[in-house]
Amino acid sequence: MSLSLLLKVMLNRKIVTILLLLQLAITLALLLNSVLLAQQTHQQLNQPTGLELEDTLLVQLKPTTPQLRMYPLLEDLLQRQVRALQNIPGVIAAAYSNQAVITQGGNNGNIYDVDNEDRTNISSVPMYFVSPDFFKVLNVNVVQGELPQLSSYLDGDTQPGVILTQRLTERLFPGESVVGRQLNRGPVSAVISDFYGQRSAEDVMYNSIQVAPPYAVDWGYALMLRTAPGQAGAVREQLTTVLQTVEPNIEIYYIRSLAEQQRQLYRNEYGLASLLTILTALMLLVTMISSYSSAHFHVLKRQQEIGVKRALGASKRLIFIELLSESWLCTLIGAFLGIGCALILNQALAQVISIPSLNWWLPLITSAILLFSVTLATWYPATIATRVSPATATKAL
Amino acid sequence: MITLTNLSKIFRTELIETHALRDVTLQVNEGEFAALTGPSGSGKSTLLNILGTLESFDSGDYLLDGKSIKGLSDAALSQLRNEKIGFIFQSFNLIKDFSIYDNIELPLRYRGLKAAERKQRIEQALELVGLHARRDYLPAQLSGGQQQRVAIARAIAGRPRILLADEPTGNLDSLMARQVMELLEQINQQGCTILMVTHDPDQARRAGRNIQIIDGQLHDSTMYEPLATQSA
Amino acid sequence: MEQFIYYLKVSLLSIKRAPLPYALTVFILSVGLGVFFANATFYYQLNSDPLPGKSDKLFFPMTLTPYDCNDCRPPRILSYSNVQKLAASDIPSAQAAMYSSDGYARLTIDQPPTPVVIRITQRDFFQMFDVPLLHGSVWPDDNGHHQVILSRPMALKLFGRTAVVGESLLLDDRNFRIIGVLDEWQMLPRLYDANGRNHLTANEDIFLPLETGYDLNYLSKTNSQTFDDTDYRQLATEGRVGALHQLQYWVQLDTAAQQEDYQQYMQSLAEDEKAAGRHPAPINNQLVPMLGIVDYFGDDPGDIKAFALVTLLFLVVCLFNASHLALNRYLSNQYEFSLRRALGASRSQLQLQMLADVLLMTVFSLLGALFIGYAGVSLMNALLPQNSLFSTWDLTLITALILAAFTCSYLVTLYPSLRASFGSLNQQLKE
Ligand SMILES: Nc1ncnc2c1ncn2[C@@H]1O[C@H](COP(=O)(O)OP(=O)(O)O)[C@@H](O)[C@H]1O
Ligand SMILES: [Mg+2]
Repeated sequence: MSLSLLLKVMLNRKIVTILLLLQLAITLALLLNSVLLAQQTHQQLNQPTGLELEDTLLVQLKPTTPQLRMYPLLEDLLQRQVRALQNIPGVIAAAYSNQAVITQGGNNGNIYDVDNEDRTNISSVPMYFVSPDFFKVLNVNVVQGELPQLSSYLDGDTQPGVILTQRLTERLFPGESVVGRQLNRGPVSAVISDFYGQRSAEDVMYNSIQVAPPYAVDWGYALMLRTAPGQAGAVREQLTTVLQTVEPNIEIYYIRSLAEQQRQLYRNEYGLASLLTILTALMLLVTMISSYSSAHFHVLKRQQEIGVKRALGASKRLIFIELLSESWLCTLIGAFLGIGCALILNQALAQVISIPSLNWWLPLITSAILLFSVTLATWYPATIATRVSPATATKAL
Repeated sequence: MITLTNLSKIFRTELIETHALRDVTLQVNEGEFAALTGPSGSGKSTLLNILGTLESFDSGDYLLDGKSIKGLSDAALSQLRNEKIGFIFQSFNLIKDFSIYDNIELPLRYRGLKAAERKQRIEQALELVGLHARRDYLPAQLSGGQQQRVAIARAIAGRPRILLADEPTGNLDSLMARQVMELLEQINQQGCTILMVTHDPDQARRAGRNIQIIDGQLHDSTMYEPLATQSA
Repeated sequence: MEQFIYYLKVSLLSIKRAPLPYALTVFILSVGLGVFFANATFYYQLNSDPLPGKSDKLFFPMTLTPYDCNDCRPPRILSYSNVQKLAASDIPSAQAAMYSSDGYARLTIDQPPTPVVIRITQRDFFQMFDVPLLHGSVWPDDNGHHQVILSRPMALKLFGRTAVVGESLLLDDRNFRIIGVLDEWQMLPRLYDANGRNHLTANEDIFLPLETGYDLNYLSKTNSQTFDDTDYRQLATEGRVGALHQLQYWVQLDTAAQQEDYQQYMQSLAEDEKAAGRHPAPINNQLVPMLGIVDYFGDDPGDIKAFALVTLLFLVVCLFNASHLALNRYLSNQYEFSLRRALGASRSQLQLQMLADVLLMTVFSLLGALFIGYAGVSLMNALLPQNSLFSTWDLTLITALILAAFTCSYLVTLYPSLRASFGSLNQQLKE
């Protein structure tokens, strides 16, 4: 069957064809954009964090009495808790921190090289106040300098040394040696490998850490621990009891692995991508129903015509292929229009959510999916068409 | 070129069995113009359909050009229909979404002819039926007689050796019918074998041979004039 | 009426003759409507006006910027001293500063503490947001008092009853007297707290005077920023004078004249501050009406909006589809239509028949849409839990759904039945 003839037939059935094309186009547009969104979420969930997600546990908690939330009782509480955690079998290292890692936001502030405030001032860099084992828990590498072995005090005469992540260091001191340089938060004492801090920061890998107990924990704090591989589950079960035994006046908000923490952080994106995926599946189903019924109806209405074609020498195979090619042609035109619609929808969506722009291969893949679904749906009606006897042609209308 | 031996056809429905053809034996030679007559429901269309391989049969045999068509695959039968046989129907059966040109082209496409070859044959066929000027019309825009002439053009464009016509003038007035008859005679003179079902005794008389079917049996087969050529 | 029942019967009969195409049509329509309705629920609730008739009189003024910047807006949270400067105006009919904090409440020291969310605010808050009081009263003035107002659920949780005015409780182990208990109150969306999408969360449990909150160093649980070296832990002292920003501030301006006056007031205030060197940035005053505050802050993640667009498109696709299916169905029944016309059915009779078809379709697709809509809302609650407070159906929504189902059924039935019932039309429009 020639392309031009197929086109002519389609043009003759204007309304049905327009309906079908519109629907195919919108379906493809949605399909494309949900795949795009799902892909983005997948990438976000799989972006490097510099952390051992499965084997690191995080407890977010808060003392329930005002005294315990402040120096000096707070420091004592933190030490008692960390010691107790370290004693749990399977725990490699435990530490406290004024805030968790892999979060949306938290305690942060601007940071700059005091000699170069104008050029280096970066806002919203997370400030961690931690115990010495924090680095062991996160299992980060020291790139430059040395990590402090002991905790110092934020209110002391000298500012405690600042530990920076690599990417932040490069931004603050590009290509320079950094140990000993003075920041507004204190002198740089070491540079460590990158890890995921706060999502709302300019760069999620920007972090500054000081080994000192926090002043106060009015918003709660985090206890973090790294377990031996495979031990996370067993350790986790004991955490609540252990911490309650150490100090009953606490509220534990949650206990999560860092993997769960990350999923929680991208929950919204994940939810939206899932919803769009479900919607796309529904849409493909609807398209399949419509392709099926339109092909089926077409066959029923055109028994005579098919009979004539058979009488003129069209084989069953040819009839079958002819019907499928009609669907294919329709789908391809629809897909072509759909790519245009997808671009428009993509731009409309970009106004309200963050969504990557279209690339060149995704339209091909999604069109293939669409084509496959339509083929599947047309298969049965096309088989029915081949069963039309050529003798049908001779029956009077 | 057509040989039927003891051919029978039974239509089975849930309620009844209809013996549409019983023990039909028939020989049709190349170049003949045969008229098929008989009362309504006697099996004329059934016979024509079987000859055109549109319908299967229950017993007996059908040799086309000396070869039995029994056991041929759908693809082989389709090819045979396409190359050797042309059809003309009572209700024209043009494809209503296609232009005249496209309608005529359809069997040629099925045969896989090149575009130039197709074009040349379509032009010839259109010339013969005198509808060259209407080539881009849709069937609905033509009169019945014109539509039947298009159907004839479609049937002969593939240069079939056999033309099967089931009451080709049944839906036409007498003037139109005469035109169609003249056309068929002209085609026959060019060597095409024609079998035509008709109710019109005049037309039957104009055909070279009259085959009568009554109740599924070939009753009589009269040759009004001896055949000019006779091939085995 | 009896005639109409006859038409309904005829419709049912023709459904019975070809149930599959009909079922598919209804299914597609239900899916489209259901999915659309599920999202529309959230969209409608999230964008609903929590204070009809009053919301257009409430404004969030943002004016003083304690740092230099080009083309930037003033901070979306205010410092204590800025609020005092704004509060000096007597143009607004009511005004209240506020923030929220976390705490632990219990009745006696040996009880386990209950975590509570505290709204720390001023007395006009209750009048401004139409907060209903069940028992007692609000604070007599905006000074510090060791007096709290409880939400109804919190009173029930702590005491097991609501008439607890005059009793006391321990909030973070300090003694407070209860002077009021709220009636059932859920302001959704909670627009007075829109910064950082807090308007999606539930109401607070305990209300504390602003001055007391500052005296006792209650820190903001949401967003606080310092623009100088104020120690955020010293709320009672440094926090009252330094550039520690954590307050929301709402004013009630009833008339256009009041609003204009207040704009003028903000302008002069900003100019004075600029002259005094406390406002280095260019003046960029904002007086944001309550219904515009979410958009103004702009941290709406847009998922519901994005989904609204997508589900609307989906509904359109489903409509196309269903009408396509219905068209096929009608064309199969065309013979019957022609017959009826031949038997002398008038146009209006055919239209009545069509109405019966539409009604049946409405009923079926409405049932399907309610089912799918309910499933969709549950699914969205599971996948986007932060919106879960906004998943309730009310009369308006259900009515809208019924209307939508009717309209869609009508659209889906209209074109095919027109084609089937008017023969001449039939020939013009090629199928
Ligand atoms: N598809 C069919 N199924 C059942 N019976 C059939 C079928 N086609 C034809 N017949 C029966 O076979 C007989 C011959 O029919 P047909 O060949 O069409 O007669 P004619 O063309 O001579 O009028 C009739 O009795 C007819 O009812
Ligand atoms: Mg017949």
